[in-house]
Amino acid sequence: MKKNLLFFLGLLLTLSAMAQDRKITGTIVNEDTGEPLSGVSIMTQGRRVGHASGAKGDFAFMIPDKGEVVLIFTYTGFNDLTIHVGASNTLEVKMKANDKKLDEVVVIGYGTVRKRDLTGAVVSVKPEEIQKVPAGNVMESLQGKVAGVDIVRTSGLAGMKADVTVRGNRSVIAGNGPLYIVDGIQYDDYQDINANDIASMEVLKDASSTAIYGSKGANGVIIITTKKGAAGKTAIFANAYYGRSEVADYPLSMSGPQFTALKREAFRATNHWSSTADDATVFTASELAGIKNNTSTYWPGLLIKKGTQQDYGIGVSSGSEKTKVYFSFDYFRETGILKNDYSNRFSLRLNIDQTIAPSFKVGLLSQFTYYKGNSRAEGVLTVANKIKPLYLPYNPDGSIVNMPGADNQVNPLLDDVPGAYVNLTNTSRIFSTAYAEWKPVKGLTLRSNLGVVNSSSRNGFFEAANSYDGINANGSSSLSKVSNGTFVNLTWENIVTYARRFGDHNLEVTAVSSYLSNRTDSSSAKGTGQLLAGQQFYGLQNNPNNLAVFSNYVGSNLLAGTFRVNYGYKGKYLLTVTGRADGSSVLAPKNHWAFFPSVAGAWRMSDESFMTSQNLFSDLKVRASYGVSGNAAVKAYQTQSAIVLVPTEWNDQKSLAYALNLQTGNPDLKWELTGTADAGLDFGLFKDRLTGSIDFYDSKTHDLLILRQLPASSGVQKVLQNIGKTRNKGIEVSLRTENVQTTNFSWSSSVTFTSNKERITSLPDNQNDIADLLFIGSPVKSFYDYQKIGVWQSADSVLAKKIGVASGNPNAFVPGAIRVRDVYNRGKITADSDRVVVGSAVPKYSIGFSNDIRWKNFDLNIYVFARVGQTFLSSYANKFEPNAIENSAVVNYWTPENPTNDYPRPNSGFSRATMPYATTLGYKDGTFVKIRTMTLGYTLPASLARRLHVAGFRWYVSAKNYISFNKVKDYDPEGGGSFEGPLTKLLVTGLNVRF
Amino acid sequence: MQTKIISAIAGLSILLLPAVSCKKTLNEYNPSGLTAATVYTNAVGFETLVNAAYSYERYWYGKEEGFANSEMGTDLWTSGTGDASTQFVKYDNLQGSTVDGIPGTTTWTSLWGDLYGAVNLCNEGLARVGGVSDYTAAQKTLHKAELSFLRAFYYWHIVETWGGVNFTTLPTAGSQTTANRTPVDTFYRQIFADLQFAAANLPATTTDYGRVTIPVAKAFLARMYLTRGMNTEALAMATDVINNYGYSLLPKFGDLWNMGNLKNKEVIWAVDYSANLTFNDAIYYSNAAGVPQRGSNSSHLLFLMLYDKANTKPVIRDINGGRPFNRFMPTMAYLKLFDNTNDSRYEGSFQTVWKANTVATGYAIGDTAIYCTNKIIPLASQSTKYVTYDLQKVYDTITGVPSQRNYYVTLKKFKDSTRTSIAEVQSARDFFVIRLAEMYLVAAEAAFKNNDKVAAAGYLNTIRTRAALPGRVAQMQITDADVTLDFILDERARELGGEQLRWFDLKRTGKLIDRVKAMNPDAALNIQPFHVLRPIPQSQLDAVTNKSVFKQNPGYQ
Repeated sequence: MKKNLLFFLGLLLTLSAMAQDRKITGTIVNEDTGEPLSGVSIMTQGRRVGHASGAKGDFAFMIPDKGEVVLIFTYTGFNDLTIHVGASNTLEVKMKANDKKLDEVVVIGYGTVRKRDLTGAVVSVKPEEIQKVPAGNVMESLQGKVAGVDIVRTSGLAGMKADVTVRGNRSVIAGNGPLYIVDGIQYDDYQDINANDIASMEVLKDASSTAIYGSKGANGVIIITTKKGAAGKTAIFANAYYGRSEVADYPLSMSGPQFTALKREAFRATNHWSSTADDATVFTASELAGIKNNTSTYWPGLLIKKGTQQDYGIGVSSGSEKTKVYFSFDYFRETGILKNDYSNRFSLRLNIDQTIAPSFKVGLLSQFTYYKGNSRAEGVLTVANKIKPLYLPYNPDGSIVNMPGADNQVNPLLDDVPGAYVNLTNTSRIFSTAYAEWKPVKGLTLRSNLGVVNSSSRNGFFEAANSYDGINANGSSSLSKVSNGTFVNLTWENIVTYARRFGDHNLEVTAVSSYLSNRTDSSSAKGTGQLLAGQQFYGLQNNPNNLAVFSNYVGSNLLAGTFRVNYGYKGKYLLTVTGRADGSSVLAPKNHWAFFPSVAGAWRMSDESFMTSQNLFSDLKVRASYGVSGNAAVKAYQTQSAIVLVPTEWNDQKSLAYALNLQTGNPDLKWELTGTADAGLDFGLFKDRLTGSIDFYDSKTHDLLILRQLPASSGVQKVLQNIGKTRNKGIEVSLRTENVQTTNFSWSSSVTFTSNKERITSLPDNQNDIADLLFIGSPVKSFYDYQKIGVWQSADSVLAKKIGVASGNPNAFVPGAIRVRDVYNRGKITADSDRVVVGSAVPKYSIGFSNDIRWKNFDLNIYVFARVGQTFLSSYANKFEPNAIENSAVVNYWTPENPTNDYPRPNSGFSRATMPYATTLGYKDGTFVKIRTMTLGYTLPASLARRLHVAGFRWYVSAKNYISFNKVKDYDPEGGGSFEGPLTKLLVTGLNVRF
Repeated sequence: MQTKIISAIAGLSILLLPAVSCKKTLNEYNPSGLTAATVYTNAVGFETLVNAAYSYERYWYGKEEGFANSEMGTDLWTSGTGDASTQFVKYDNLQGSTVDGIPGTTTWTSLWGDLYGAVNLCNEGLARVGGVSDYTAAQKTLHKAELSFLRAFYYWHIVETWGGVNFTTLPTAGSQTTANRTPVDTFYRQIFADLQFAAANLPATTTDYGRVTIPVAKAFLARMYLTRGMNTEALAMATDVINNYGYSLLPKFGDLWNMGNLKNKEVIWAVDYSANLTFNDAIYYSNAAGVPQRGSNSSHLLFLMLYDKANTKPVIRDINGGRPFNRFMPTMAYLKLFDNTNDSRYEGSFQTVWKANTVATGYAIGDTAIYCTNKIIPLASQSTKYVTYDLQKVYDTITGVPSQRNYYVTLKKFKDSTRTSIAEVQSARDFFVIRLAEMYLVAAEAAFKNNDKVAAAGYLNTIRTRAALPGRVAQMQITDADVTLDFILDERARELGGEQLRWFDLKRTGKLIDRVKAMNPDAALNIQPFHVLRPIPQSQLDAVTNKSVFKQNPGYQ
């Protein structure tokens, strides 16, 4: 290869030498970092002769020695630089990275485009943004940074993914999550990706940008491109961080005395208790013992501990002119806030690009991820919040009491014992993409991509006889289970691109054909009564009882053909037309295929001559698009009416029985379609000190796929149908300002604002579908219930009684009972009239506000995130036990002496489940503002770094989730209201080193 | 030029490559799924439908939901402290369900769905049986008879619980979004037609315990005739079953409940729960997504009082004692129906003594530690050694309202000491759906309603003779003067209490309101005439599109 290079250089020299010109040599470095820049394009003004800098940023070429020599240096991501070459033939060129990256290349579906030429709503996120915040997965580090993308992590359990929605929920049953494309191939397991491997991340939001992905892209597309090797000096990146996590906020359950008071009041309300003399009739013996001994056990506190997060990675980028290699290794470990809740991730990546001939290139991009993790039983903390504080968890000898107080509740601490509860999952996933690219003639590119995702996972599950479920559900017997699953996703796509410039006309045509297949094969086996607990889920055949096996196959295919035409006139007037036809096997045969067209246009106003005279706008572009996309992200086989196995017997001999499934098949299943109009504005002001974009969009979805509740009187209860319409209208703003920029101090801010109005616009027969909780005019995820307006007070007892009698439920309308709104003032409360939409899980708007401050070698990032207007259902607020049958949340309840409107009076005659309107207690305003991260970093000065033989060295500390403001006490509402998996705050310190 | 042509051809051809096998690619391949059309069309497959049609009885019998609907809110039972669905007893809060559901409504929601699922499967089978390729005509008739019986059986539960609700004899095709309101008479016309067909075409016996036979169909038909006031037919059917099919009353009432003796001569039809819990679709073995598991018999949990807390030192929870869910306790009036000195059914039905099962100061293992009784024992004469819960310690003896609901005389019919652990909720105990004693009581009631009190007293005496304690047969005899409707109901309570019949008995005799008001002070507070029907689950009302036609039962909001 070296030979070839020499030959080439030699040829150049020979050619140049003929003119007997002057020789210009020099090096080009990054002004900020001092790093050499290779591949910088160097032009002589007028001559249009191009050169490029070498691997070490060096260049050398001959130019005619006449007149003034002007060289223009251009390099993606850097400001163009024009140098008037004086007498010296040796140049030390420093190029400055630009923030206005209009010429930056943005990855779009099946291609790239310069940012300036974009017609759709596409947001590009720089890798630094992702790597700035250490996070368990890449989507979490994007939170609040992209307008229109709602990302929440609802659980603090180790290894949990985040929920991601782009521009609201259009669909009810079909998936609302975006499509993830990694290096051109669909790859939904974004949590596998090592943040340090990312070269760029793009979010495609409007229908025109996503149209090329057709059905798959209906809910937005997130394109992740991984790093490639570069010719030149080998670069090594090493990253490490370690952090401790703890529960951000967790509400208390009642203490011993609080619980005692609750139970007394519950029985006082039913005239069974009037003084402590009645304690003996109200409390059980074990409760009395607890009261006597002042026992007050805080059960969640016994389970919750501190967790950790750590990550160690190394990446190497290297290559020659023809072969470019990038590889990396990363280890991530998270331990949760419960014992034995942990997740380990090992990821390896190898990207190779090989040029075989000048017009022919092949490559292989591979990632291997291995997970090993154990998760805890769902519900451990729910139990801890139930169990009475009057009981002791341990016997005097230190052993765990199986059923504290001989009450019905099993001790949740049993699962903390090593080996008692094992839920071990090992997953290995290979994601490999191969491509071949041929450019036979100028402008034409033929490319074939083949992607394979092969994921195998094994879950080993064991509940010992003496575990929580062993006692509670399995009848003091152990349960062993092994589940295996193999998932294979095959993508084959062929892409033809033709790009050509005719004078002022710029044309690019792309055509794609795709084949995608998904196969899942799974099997599991289980049994009970493992003789030796140490065998866990191994050796299932040794289980004496209830051996059972299952296996399952699910497969689906998608075929698609696509074309896209990008046309630009003078770089000012831009047009994109896209069409895609999709065929999906999961729909009814007659409805397999659909066609999705879209069109988009943009006008770069700032390039018009009339704009040259003004100084306000440094950039101004208007965009508009309309497109139709489809969604068929539903499970396979829902066109078929299945029958299901019912385990049964005759004379204790197994007999086969198949009953009709509760869900019936729909032979008319078809595409859910969304038409989206988008209008956007991209701008730069004051020489790009202020840049930003604003987008308005309106998307209308029809033939909504809904898993419809059928009247159970038909014998079947559900069907997947195309009914109803939704509409999402919204505005997205992102702004970036350079507040201060001096050599030693800089401060920039960015703001994203997203407001989306999601609502259902039509349902069958024009009536609300209460059974499915779908309401015309309300968001898809709505809460529907009576509206609590307080507690019936003694002064209103006459009115209460009157309403109670009219409602057929006099006992529910007494002083101290929950008072709900009589919506139509009819003097009675009924299910059909007085239930209303009391809130929605969808926020009204969300704001991200990020500040980057750099002072000398210190950098500080403060990132504030707010999500406003959503309602959540709080398990804690709901945890009021009127009959004190379980422990309760600490709430301000009504008593004759405390006429509050917060919570009703405890009453031994009702359980939480039977107390009328008790569910109204749980709805809470989930609005929050939080300083999600504060990161302080220090970068070694270049001179010092060089002495240490490193190219760059940064140390940082980051605090995550430490400060938050919200309307509920002691709970982070981002967590969604569950007792389980509370969100954590995290303090992390880490290093980034480059060699 | 040549390069360009080659390039163009190459470009086009690579685009076409993936689409080559287009048509086949989009066919759904579902090797692990089964559909009705592929399975129910031959003998082996159709057999699985019939088996499945039986399995729905497991949702009701031996299940808390079934007890809530068939025993609670009657004169016999009220809520223990552990009762999670007190609305069944109290007749309040029976409406105003929220979306998340309250257990009462969940009970109805699930049973409603289960019973209509059963009916639809029977309808599916009856529509398909004629087309089963490899059945003989006789096999077709046999399975038609089985499915007809089961449809009648399930429709009876529906019509008695909710009244004139949705009715059809056709399987549901596609997505049915409306429901109809059909008169009760139409239900019964079909029930009789189905049962008569079954009685005429079923085999006389079966080797599959739990499968229906002629006497099962006749016995159930007797119950149905009685329900509809067709007393002559009821009497004839009941005596036919009594005389002609080899059933006999067990000599000792208490032996009926021995786990080792469940398949006995007195049982006409039972739900045969297996000791192999896998076969019972127990909760942690089912794999059918979205289909609620049936599970085993769980009635052993429900009636047990908190014996392990009544005298905690000598008595601890053990397998034999059972796992006390403390849901249901007897009303005082129910306990007072028993004549302890003559009638074995008091001791045969109830547990009154708990013995020390662990070493404690003052107790040897086996010493009486807890004693409950349906009598009043003056405080002075109560034992100081063991804990006594006499009537006045459990109830306000004047009003009958329980003064505490933790410790009481406990129904022991369903206890199961063969479970593998204390905590095991699944029991292999068969649930008796029809036993011979009921036929005598049906005959007695039919005779009484036909004004033949002598015959009625005769049938009752047969039952009472068996029930008599040794040497007390004479004291147990009654005369025709003793026979009243209330006496028959009292006798049914003594004989069949807890066996998931009470609600239907009270409804049939029109005595629900009167007897509840007289005997169950908890229920008496709110019960009203409209309560003879249960509320239709809100989810059904929410899901129908013909909301103006398909409405809630009267009285419920």
